[in-house]
Amino acid sequence: MKACWLILVMTAGSARAETWPLPDWPVDTVASDWQAVDSYAFPERDARERSGIRSDALLVIRDGRILHERYAAPTTANTAHLTWSVSKSVLATVLGVAQGEGHFQLQDPAARFYPPMQAHRDVRLADLLHWASGLAWQEGYEYAPLKSSVVAMLYTRGRNDMAAYTAARPAAEKPGQRFLYSSGDSNVLAAALRGMLDPGAYADYPWQALFTPLGIDSAVWERDGTGTFVGSSYLYLSARDLARIGLLMQREGRWRDRQLLPASWVAFNRTLFSQAQAMPGEANPGGHWWLNQPLQGSATPWPDAPTDTYAALGHWGQALYILPTQKLVIVRYADDRDGSYSHNELLKRVLAALPKGGA
Amino acid sequence: MKRLLLLMIVALLGWAWFERQALADFPGILSAYSAKAYCSCRFVMGFDEAYCQGYVKQWLPLSALEEDSQQRLISATGLGQRHQAVWQSTRAGCRLLP
Repeated sequence: MKACWLILVMTAGSARAETWPLPDWPVDTVASDWQAVDSYAFPERDARERSGIRSDALLVIRDGRILHERYAAPTTANTAHLTWSVSKSVLATVLGVAQGEGHFQLQDPAARFYPPMQAHRDVRLADLLHWASGLAWQEGYEYAPLKSSVVAMLYTRGRNDMAAYTAARPAAEKPGQRFLYSSGDSNVLAAALRGMLDPGAYADYPWQALFTPLGIDSAVWERDGTGTFVGSSYLYLSARDLARIGLLMQREGRWRDRQLLPASWVAFNRTLFSQAQAMPGEANPGGHWWLNQPLQGSATPWPDAPTDTYAALGHWGQALYILPTQKLVIVRYADDRDGSYSHNELLKRVLAALPKGGA
Repeated sequence: MKRLLLLMIVALLGWAWFERQALADFPGILSAYSAKAYCSCRFVMGFDEAYCQGYVKQWLPLSALEEDSQQRLISATGLGQRHQAVWQSTRAGCRLLP
């Protein structure tokens, strides 16, 4: 009987002890040696050559407490850093709140909320979230600017209305059949969100739905000429604020006692879209997030990280990693101009450096 | 030999016609990208001019990169084209002008 009481008291105690960044992140005082992590992430930087690994920020959080935090000038804890394609997964998180509010279903056609998609009536929101709209697309930045759809969308003929640029692309395949990474798909989602909401509610929605409840105050989200969020690329957040989205995901959509995202939405984000081609070292697509789960017959993308690891990833090395079993959230910002950075190597070193005990 | 050269010219012209849209767009990329990226580097991320100049640098050089700090307006010129980006608001950051 006494033992039962003790267990009950301990469980209640640990539930109360759940840590949240309110108002700011608590710092864990457990000492650990981060030298192997830092020497990998922050080597001497050559400003002229712009080569090698060039981290701007590294933030490691375990179960709601900061274990390690480091910045490279001029980035600081207060810098709202460009997240590039991490924006896509945050957009999906905003959409998750909208789904929880009953604004749409995954199987709804995109055209219901964004009329220019009438040209592609069979494309569902789920297909866009899997980057499988089937629309012809060439992703890739500086190495193929002539043929790049993403460069055309962001900087030339698409820049004033990015979703319309995407919707005007020809269909290359049947929707939902094959993963083809496309920033255009993400911007069609950003435009569809507008169609789901009351007129005038759109510009404030990411704040009202997600940023404000999480206590995020650094967010800047740039828009195209029509006012549609550049959902593919142009969200800025401080590292500590991006980690709040990580903690929300790590805790399966719950923020304190409020289920902000439906747990089924997080499950969708974390479900592998299997109609994809494995690329060595590259995470696999889920629902607008990237998974370390292997595709059938292929190796685990990041072999030294648990297979339940998932991430939001962006150009030039931006990353938000979530390791649910380890209760870890890791933010990395960077200005990597070559391919020398390895997700696997960083995760391996962080896992090896974790102080024992705790969560 | 002459025939081969002629064939190559025809092929090149054919390719240029096929890619005419992408080729016409190409000269605008550098200045548009630079204006937008520099505007956000300065007024959203809040970095200094020297850092931001290095940040936006591409393999092709710009002929001008001007900042109007009062209007928070950036003008970039390169490959004979000029583009401008302007800061909109705290939440909306920068945007390329049409």
